[in-house]
Amino acid sequence: MERLPWLRRLFPFVLILALLAASQVMDNYLQYIVNLVLIYVIIGIGLNFLLGFAGQFAFAHAALMGIGAYTAALLTTRVGLSFWLALPLSGVVAAVIGAGAALPAMRMRRVYLALVTLAFAQLIIWVLINWNAVTLGTDGVDLRAPYLFGWRMRGDRNTFYIVLPVTVFLYWLARRVLESHVGRAFIAIRENEIVARSNGISVAWTKTLVFALSAFYAGIGGGLYALALGFIVPDSFGLGQLTLHFSIVVLGGMLSLYGAVIGAVVLTTLPEFLRDVQALQEIIYGLVLMVVILVMPQGIVGPLKRFGILPREVLARNWRRLERRG
Amino acid sequence: MVNLLTLLVAGLANGSLYALVALGLVLIYKTQDVVNFAHGEILMAGAFIGFSAYTFLHLPYGWSLVAAVLLGGLLGAVIERVAFRRVANQHHITLAMVTVGLSVLMKGLARIPFGRDINTYPPAFKADRVVLWGIPISPQHLLTIAMAASLAVALYLFFRFTALGKKMRATQQTIVGAQLVGINTGNVFASTWALAAMIGAAAGVLAAPLSLLYPDMGTNFLLKGFAAAVLGGFESVPGAIVGGFIVGVVEMLFGGFVSTVFQQVSAFFIIILVLFLKPDGLFGRRALARV
Amino acid sequence: MTGRPVLLEARDVTIRFGGLVAVDSVSMAIVPGEVRGLIGPNGAGKTTFFNAISGLVPLSSGLIRLGGEDITALPAHRRAAAGLRRTFQSVQLLPQQTVLENVLIGLHTSFTAPGWRDRRGREAAAQAQVEHVLAFLGIAARILTPVNRLTFAEQRLTEIARAIVSRPRVLLLDEPAAGLSPTEVEGLGELLHRLRDEWDVTILLVEHVLSLVLNRSDRVTVLENGRLIAEGCPEEVANNRAVQVAYMGVE
Repeated sequence: MERLPWLRRLFPFVLILALLAASQVMDNYLQYIVNLVLIYVIIGIGLNFLLGFAGQFAFAHAALMGIGAYTAALLTTRVGLSFWLALPLSGVVAAVIGAGAALPAMRMRRVYLALVTLAFAQLIIWVLINWNAVTLGTDGVDLRAPYLFGWRMRGDRNTFYIVLPVTVFLYWLARRVLESHVGRAFIAIRENEIVARSNGISVAWTKTLVFALSAFYAGIGGGLYALALGFIVPDSFGLGQLTLHFSIVVLGGMLSLYGAVIGAVVLTTLPEFLRDVQALQEIIYGLVLMVVILVMPQGIVGPLKRFGILPREVLARNWRRLERRG
Repeated sequence: MVNLLTLLVAGLANGSLYALVALGLVLIYKTQDVVNFAHGEILMAGAFIGFSAYTFLHLPYGWSLVAAVLLGGLLGAVIERVAFRRVANQHHITLAMVTVGLSVLMKGLARIPFGRDINTYPPAFKADRVVLWGIPISPQHLLTIAMAASLAVALYLFFRFTALGKKMRATQQTIVGAQLVGINTGNVFASTWALAAMIGAAAGVLAAPLSLLYPDMGTNFLLKGFAAAVLGGFESVPGAIVGGFIVGVVEMLFGGFVSTVFQQVSAFFIIILVLFLKPDGLFGRRALARV
Repeated sequence: MTGRPVLLEARDVTIRFGGLVAVDSVSMAIVPGEVRGLIGPNGAGKTTFFNAISGLVPLSSGLIRLGGEDITALPAHRRAAAGLRRTFQSVQLLPQQTVLENVLIGLHTSFTAPGWRDRRGREAAAQAQVEHVLAFLGIAARILTPVNRLTFAEQRLTEIARAIVSRPRVLLLDEPAAGLSPTEVEGLGELLHRLRDEWDVTILLVEHVLSLVLNRSDRVTVLENGRLIAEGCPEEVANNRAVQVAYMGVE
């Protein structure tokens, strides 16, 4: 791809058109898988901001996804709000709560952040299970699909028509954020907070921002997840879900937007085949996490970039302009 | 009043388990500056080793404990050698991810033989209650406290008086310094992991009669052990022990006087509360960063 | 002495850690365009004092002023925005990122400064500034090279580029000569003067390599055991009895 700049620029459009075309002839199950892949791209990008770029080891991503899912589901079924409003709200609610997680990140030592967020995640699941009055506990909640110009958007293909533009938009947004001073600030705090501060970066503000942004993506992903499944239960958003998130980011490649996409594509298809064999899922994810880190710490995108199959990612807008200068 | 003391003893028993878990976490953290997220699973492994020793080999309780501790230690050393040594110098996220992966892997491996049913481990004593000074107390709880205490004492002696213990303390203070005086830090790391795993496995066997055995049991103990370690400032052995008792007792009191539903999450509240009010734990000191 | 306004001023700065007094009532006044050397034997407190000026260590008492404005209470990132930048002893760059990205971090404050207009213009302008500073330092060709593929000398220059790209008023250099050969030290010395004369920046440099300090500084301050024991131009300081005793022991 490096050597064919026109290919690089056309590729996203080609991909989108291909997906749209394919969806006209796909059966429902395959469409459902495609929807899940797109949703996990969003989830993966969100986690990548936090874990990959900003280096904040937090365990709350699955819980935040759950918050987004429940917000969307409850707002549509219990409050009667339209999904078009409920979806952005899922993002916002998750973002506010996620930003709240930034508070401990700023005050306490790094080692504590992971376990505090893990405790927080367990707490959320506990609330979802036990707050029966609101969340209906383990009975689960379903989601009412939205109307578009009077047409009820139910079913996997209609879900795809909603999920695809959202994914494309959020990917574009991520690219813009990362290629700006904000993205550079993220990596700065990843490496060394003292150096970041000495360069004028407010670590407190940057952390709050990345936690909120990451949570926003998780929340939207959760809302779309509820739409795709039609029905959600608390247990879906526990450690198993979190492990999938980590695996996507690690396998695809931290510090890379392409990595989130690749990781999502590879790993989302897997659990569907192993749906009933939890032990096997865990063994595979565990091995993926360990082996990839030990052998390919940059994930799949590492070698792909080295062999020119994937283009470089530099966190500066229009950086290729500088290449042409020679 | 009677109820309170029974709860107290039960809390101390659970608390001593959390203290042991905390010790294992602090040990590895002090030596390698990383939290071992798989520690809960090591406890789970110990519990299941003990369970298997009892159920399949018909070993009595004491020998099951020994088997679990020895195999646990071996497991810890192997983990360090195979997985950890390669990445010991890399970014802390890399290290943490390895332990997360390990934790998931171990859960999956345990689920194959043991995932189908929830298992139980019979208590060491036939009698269910012993009455001391008019208060009903479970002898299993007393045994747990006694064993945990002996372990803590044994550890103290180990660090104080044995050559290996001293080397470990030296390496915890400064890795380069330790290497300069000729300490084989690789061996020290392996020994640290082995020791931490042994403590974890022992905690698992002690926990087995008090808890249900299932592959996911580790996370619960990890969080509570972490709460205990945090209370102790993540630095000291006595801190971890006191922290463990506090978590265990608070949890029991919450469960007894408020509601059993809240019992599960009281540890979470403790963690979050303590870290907001005293970010360095109850006994910890502010660490100064060097660039 | 010359009547020039003081740019960086430290007044009676004292820093205590627990019971230990690391810096004891040290005062210093640096004028614009000056290269000031800060030296002293090990444990003299120079690094602590230096870190206090950049905002990483809080003062126990005293004050610090930049361009007349009291910055004692300002956190490090605000001081950076105010025009006070520094380098670090060991090169602290983002290894997998390019020189461009690393140096752009030095311009973070120009993006966060108030004013919403012309967002795209800022990024392009910033990149132009990066090209300019890299050309000034002679590493323009490395702009898109990942830092972990640069030579050590190039990495050091990249770090300096990051520190000066925002045209700070004051540049704090933390032992820049550490690990350099004598020829490289000489090159560094010339760079210091170029920075002062062509890039228009005032420099405070903490250093152990005395030749660099004595040859290139306009004035030198000497600390020992947390106290200021001598200050003046390099010849005066080199011939100062107390300084000689501090460094070489009793004569």
